[in-house]
Amino acid sequence: MQNSVTPDAISTVLSNPSFDSSSDRSEIVVQVVDLKPIGNRYTFSANDGKTRVKAMFTASLTPEIVSGKIQNLGLIRLVDFTVNDISSKSTKYFLVTKCESVASALDSEIDLDGKKDEEGGEAAKRQKLDHSPVRDVKETGIMLKPKKEFVAKSASQIISEQRGNAAPAARMAMTRRVHPLVSLNPYQGSWTIKVRVTNKGTMRNYRNARGEGCVFNVELTDEEGTQIQATMFNDAARKFYERFQMGKVYYISRGSLKLANKQFKTVQNDYEMTLNENSEVEEASNEEMFVPETKFNFVPIEELGMYVNQRELIDLIGVVQSVSPTMSIRRRTDNEMIPKRDITLADESKKTVVVSLWNDLATGVGQELLDMADESPVIAIKSLKVGDFQGVSLSTISRSNVVINPESPEAKKLKSWYDSEGKETSMSSIGSGISPSAKNGSWSMYTDRVLLSHITSNPSLGDEKPVFFSTRGYISFIKPDQTMWYQACKTCNKKVTEAMDSGYWCEGCQKKEEECSLRYIMVVKVSDSTGEAWFSSFNDEAEKIIGCSADELNKLRSEGGEVNEFQTKLKEATWSSHVFRISVTQNEYNGEKRQRVTVKGVAPVDFAAETRLLLQDISKKNKASQ
Amino acid sequence: MDTSSPAAFVNGALLRRYIGQKVRAVVQVIRSDIGSVTGKSTDDQQIVVKGSPPPSLTTFLEVIGIAESDNTIRADVWTNFGDNFDAGNYNELCKLANGEFRHMFI
Repeated sequence: MQNSVTPDAISTVLSNPSFDSSSDRSEIVVQVVDLKPIGNRYTFSANDGKTRVKAMFTASLTPEIVSGKIQNLGLIRLVDFTVNDISSKSTKYFLVTKCESVASALDSEIDLDGKKDEEGGEAAKRQKLDHSPVRDVKETGIMLKPKKEFVAKSASQIISEQRGNAAPAARMAMTRRVHPLVSLNPYQGSWTIKVRVTNKGTMRNYRNARGEGCVFNVELTDEEGTQIQATMFNDAARKFYERFQMGKVYYISRGSLKLANKQFKTVQNDYEMTLNENSEVEEASNEEMFVPETKFNFVPIEELGMYVNQRELIDLIGVVQSVSPTMSIRRRTDNEMIPKRDITLADESKKTVVVSLWNDLATGVGQELLDMADESPVIAIKSLKVGDFQGVSLSTISRSNVVINPESPEAKKLKSWYDSEGKETSMSSIGSGISPSAKNGSWSMYTDRVLLSHITSNPSLGDEKPVFFSTRGYISFIKPDQTMWYQACKTCNKKVTEAMDSGYWCEGCQKKEEECSLRYIMVVKVSDSTGEAWFSSFNDEAEKIIGCSADELNKLRSEGGEVNEFQTKLKEATWSSHVFRISVTQNEYNGEKRQRVTVKGVAPVDFAAETRLLLQDISKKNKASQ
Repeated sequence: MDTSSPAAFVNGALLRRYIGQKVRAVVQVIRSDIGSVTGKSTDDQQIVVKGSPPPSLTTFLEVIGIAESDNTIRADVWTNFGDNFDAGNYNELCKLANGEFRHMFI
């Protein structure tokens, strides 16, 4: 506990009607709480640990408060003050005309009586400093004359002094009160932040209904590790693009905040910042700021499967096996040609993956990698999009960050693995291991994995919008006498009607065709160890389950003969196990809501992968029961 | 060989617990000679399997026999397990089968 107020000082002063502040009263030390501006003066409550009294600083002291010398929850020695009456009431207040700051903000309001005080908590958290001076409480209390002058320090100054940066430039920080990023909100007017640029996007030109423009954004991180994205448009973009440099530290003020658009959120912050031409961006040249380094969260290549086509961006580290020359790809949206380069990376999971570098990364970093390809460098990439081209493909986006041969333990480990065994090992591409379904690319068969009981025990699943899961189970029953298929237009797959004469009419194409194709629409019963459910399946998935097309099955059905091939086909499909990607929705049927499960994808069971899932479940259960 | 008692699933580290007893293990074949096969256990330790190996061996091999020392098995049953085998999963199985789920196996 840091206790250096003068206990009972306030009550003593208040009880003494005629005191002289210039005599021994000058040794009173109180804590400033509830510091508030009223006009150009500041009011507060003086706390001596036992009593509080309303107080006010004269206007001449306002600059000391604004500069941070006098802080809320800090300690001040009252050098010159008077006790006045509040006109209408019988209560008194201290008017402080001169004081000295004795200590900067403490953790909380001092309470010598041991009563808990909630009020100071919030303010204390924001102003917590680790290095407020500590002094012993003397039982006699009154005479606390500090040997050294203690001046209130701002966070950045303490840190730079800690690091031995006594350069005069460091003093600049004293005049600035730096706000932690976490405290910023749209309703707080003036703030200054001290941040490092941890990511800088490229300048993009855009055209929309309102005209043309240019925009870029930066990712800012402060000492506490909080991050926020700042965006600049047009004039502001042009003004600050050169000034903001990766890795440098800046003081920024006069930006505006708004709620972050969740769709495009790239950092963990409810808000995002916009800077305009009036915003201030000043490089903190001589000061050091410790900012937690770019945090990478690497995913081993063999685990990329579950990120395919998901919105989540991933980080990767691997050894460069090959670098392609630059290719020019035409962008579909605006027909512009953009450069691309593919690099193949390998890691200890003995799998390889192709990463496509786009734009500046293709021409800049990509060229560097091509030149050093025979050294098999290790590269780490932050923020990659996972696509399904050839199973698994990784692409850079504007905010991707590539580091060649990073100084990290993972990189060292990877390099030594590669030099000792990786170089010689034959590795397989991760893409070939993933089973894509017909035209939809590969599904994630390992995310949102549930057992059938999860679906059956919850009849209102998918009430508002469809919910997606993956599940592994056996086809336990296919009703042979259900309507298994419909007559479909060969062009658009929609249902066709039989024309009066021969042929079929397609309402969608507005055409009559001679022939139609049959497409599956069937329900199958699926079971696992926890339950059973009916799954509806459409053509592509049902074909995989049955093992032949609807047209072929129909042919088998109409063929008579000793051996009923049709029944055999169904029998073979029964009790086969698959991994399904399903959607669960609610359908209204005869006024009643019924759960409907539709198969979105089917894949064969990968026993090694399934075993790993089971092992994960076992260890999760163990952790939970501990 | 007494076939009534179950064979314990072992990897390199667990083998020493069952010296003199019946064990089963999957190894990755490193070298094969007359009368023995040198293999790598699923926890990357070297195990020598003595006996009569089959004429042709795939990458992975399961052997069932008596543990002679902390790195030797005298096998009676040899089964080729093919070239694609997830050693990591098998290793976890060995740990669980000798750990908290022992009662289900022995």
